[in-house]
Amino acid sequence: MSLLEADHLFKVFGKHPDDAVERLRSGAGREELREDGATAAVVDACFEVGEGEIFVIMGLSGSGKSTLLRMLNGLAEPTAGRVLFDGQELTALNGRELRSVRSHRISMVFQHFALFPHRTVLENAGYGLEQQGVDRGERDRRAAEALELVGLGEWKDSWPDELSGGMQQRVGLARALATDADLLLMDESFSALDPLIRREMQEQLLQLQQQLRKSIVFITHDLNEAMRLGDRIAVMRDGRIVQQGTPAEIVLAPADDYVAAFVEDVDRDRVLGRAAVRPGGPGADRGAAGEVPQQAPRDAAAGGKAVNRG
Amino acid sequence: MARIPLGDWVETGVDFLRDHFQPFFDGITTVVSGMYDGVDAVLGAPQPLLLAGILAVVALWLRGPLAALLSFAGLALIEGVGQWDQAMSTLSLVLVASVITVLLAVPLGVWAARSTRVGAALRPVLDLMQTMPAFVYLIPGIFFFGVGQVPGIIATIVFSMPPGVRMTELGIRQVDGELVEAAEAFGTAPRRTLLGVQLPLALPTIMAGVNQVIMLALSMVVISGMVGGGGLGASVFTAISQVDVGLGFEGGIAVVILAMYLDRMTGALGRRVSPLGRRALARERSADRSAVLRYRPSTAVAGVAVVVLALVAGGLHTFGGSGGTRAALPAGHDVGHGRTVDIGTINWDEGVAATYLWKEVLEQRGFRPQVQNMDVGALYTGMSTGRVDVELDSWLPVTHADYWRKYRGSLTDLGSWYGPTSLEVSVPSYVKDVHSLADLKGRSKEFGGRIIGVEPGAGEMKLLRSTVLKGYGLDKEYQLTTGSTAGMLAQLERSVKAKEPVAVVLWSPHWAYSKYPLTKLADPRGLFGRGDRIHTLAHRSFPSEFPQVSRWMKGFRLTEEQLGGLEQAIHDAGQGHEQDGVRTWLRSQPGLVDRMAPLGAA
Repeated sequence: MSLLEADHLFKVFGKHPDDAVERLRSGAGREELREDGATAAVVDACFEVGEGEIFVIMGLSGSGKSTLLRMLNGLAEPTAGRVLFDGQELTALNGRELRSVRSHRISMVFQHFALFPHRTVLENAGYGLEQQGVDRGERDRRAAEALELVGLGEWKDSWPDELSGGMQQRVGLARALATDADLLLMDESFSALDPLIRREMQEQLLQLQQQLRKSIVFITHDLNEAMRLGDRIAVMRDGRIVQQGTPAEIVLAPADDYVAAFVEDVDRDRVLGRAAVRPGGPGADRGAAGEVPQQAPRDAAAGGKAVNRG
Repeated sequence: MARIPLGDWVETGVDFLRDHFQPFFDGITTVVSGMYDGVDAVLGAPQPLLLAGILAVVALWLRGPLAALLSFAGLALIEGVGQWDQAMSTLSLVLVASVITVLLAVPLGVWAARSTRVGAALRPVLDLMQTMPAFVYLIPGIFFFGVGQVPGIIATIVFSMPPGVRMTELGIRQVDGELVEAAEAFGTAPRRTLLGVQLPLALPTIMAGVNQVIMLALSMVVISGMVGGGGLGASVFTAISQVDVGLGFEGGIAVVILAMYLDRMTGALGRRVSPLGRRALARERSADRSAVLRYRPSTAVAGVAVVVLALVAGGLHTFGGSGGTRAALPAGHDVGHGRTVDIGTINWDEGVAATYLWKEVLEQRGFRPQVQNMDVGALYTGMSTGRVDVELDSWLPVTHADYWRKYRGSLTDLGSWYGPTSLEVSVPSYVKDVHSLADLKGRSKEFGGRIIGVEPGAGEMKLLRSTVLKGYGLDKEYQLTTGSTAGMLAQLERSVKAKEPVAVVLWSPHWAYSKYPLTKLADPRGLFGRGDRIHTLAHRSFPSEFPQVSRWMKGFRLTEEQLGGLEQAIHDAGQGHEQDGVRTWLRSQPGLVDRMAPLGAA
């Protein structure tokens, strides 16, 4: 059973958002709406994320991926559609219930780290626990553990601005892990880092994932990153998800010219080599190109892919 | 275009507020003046140098030894020029006004930062508060809050609030949106996000706003000294209106020292209270541990030092002080039983003389007269509301005719004690062949085409503009400059020193006639009218509240000789020692006190 489900999510900014959703449902395009002063950020997004799965949402800037991510933990309220998290309809919760879910079960890692400059590294890592109401001793212990996990155990008494970008983002990751949330939302979390560090962070995330088996929704505009991290990938364009599937599926059977152009330069051997060891094989359960299969996550795949990555 | 009666509407509104919300304003007055009295009592209690020491320890804690040394030197200088009490009163005004302002401004700024609509609505209001000339609301403030410190404090709050609101709003808006989002993403409730993330990170900006609030408060408090706010403002105001440049400078330098102290301390406090500032501070210190000048006592050490000094101060005060008690009066002389009489004065010499004369007399009769120095508009407004009981310097029927017309309903005339006075234009005696206003015609080149005037609102100025200049055909030839009495006297002094021709607007009695050789220009056509007499006016209820004092004042007369002698004695005693001058003079007037205030059946 999937941990998270996005059910026909829409997000429209501007005038008369509800009318705009109706028109989008009956096939109106983004440009038509823009003339009437409404901006469709996300149009009819549907997907599921399984337990222990890394689900990557990939798209260029302005494709609506960040807005989509923020609807998953209620930071942005959907104009229409539902978010189901562990069988619970997030979109129906009141503010206090939603905050409780956010502090206990869904955490987030930000593009520019969003560390609190007036708190030490340890206090930053413990922030989520503080919001949960965990007492000081317990909080510090668990925050220190999370810092150990990301390799920053010795830095807990430092201040954020004393750390390099990569280290700061590891603090951000520790903060998200410390709360023991089931779902991690990662918003372009490695985009602000330089390529070498970014690569290191990707490796570290995969190693951690082997150990922790979280469900992760990862946003990126970098195709190689998407291929490297994603169990499954959704490609967004102009607010719509144009294709979702395993990396191999995206590469081998792009749904349209847009996706095809996107994946042209990707390292196929690597993607396919990895895909080949997956039981079931790529494309076996695919319908015609352009149809988007809703795949259940395959727990069995996790072990194999990790070997391949290491 | 038709005239829009905006002013009338405002006046109607002010009247309505005054008539219907007086208890509300009285409540504010009570609270604010209570705060002021409390703070002033604390600051005024210790020996000046001891308090200077306490303030220097605060400087040591916040900024180090050099700042402490300079603070102490500066504050000692204030004491050295005899401005300490005024400075402490000003400091109390600033502290009270700033605390209230910050308590209002920070929440408003937070509100404005969180709601674009509130921010947009506040902006024009803040503009208005900041740019409306203070006198526009300083004088009407007396309607609502009476004369004294409160209207000054209210005006100060109005004037100094905008930067507090704006900087708070800016500081909160400047906090990185991703940080706020991060707090939300971890389930932080909006209020805790505000307290735990936005406010701490906005604190440096907010403290810069607080610093601005305090500096503006100081400048406004000085201005409010003119409407009876007291403190250094009153010192400076009194000094300049008597063209006492030296004293004006002493008051001014005290303002500057206070300003610099407050500015540096709040600036440093900003770094102390914000978490980021504390870190920067710690880093600086560890980088340069050896330097003596970087020494800062810990908060605890500084706190202990302040407490010890404060205790010493309190102790000295307890043992040293019995200053407040009244001298014992001979039997039968205590008519007043310590009742307070508020006497207003507008700082004209004859008024000061009569006021301090009565202060001395009333004290000898067991009253507690309190003299308040204020602007003429403030005086009449205050007296009409009963906040001032009585004043001795109304020039009627001409000079103060406007005020009398406006407020006569709530005032009563206790008769005139001196007269007739005269209004005139005067020139230095070395200007040849000018003896009458008519002689000025055709000589405008000599006088630079100007007649040096005084405050535009003065009755004499109105008379000159409307009648006198036209009557002598001078209105085309001469420009009547407007300014202040102090400015006129300064110009007179300058011209006399340079032996240049000058024509100034003057009146008699005035000390300028004894100081400079001047010719009063004759008014052959009688356009200035008959001379005013100087009247004693009081609030309507004064005769029933103080029947005996009213009777005494009704019988009060001074001759020109007496007034001249009294003014001279007060002048010789010097600023701040008016009453000593009065006592000296009274020794030459045996029996005068008993004639002014006859006792019982006698």
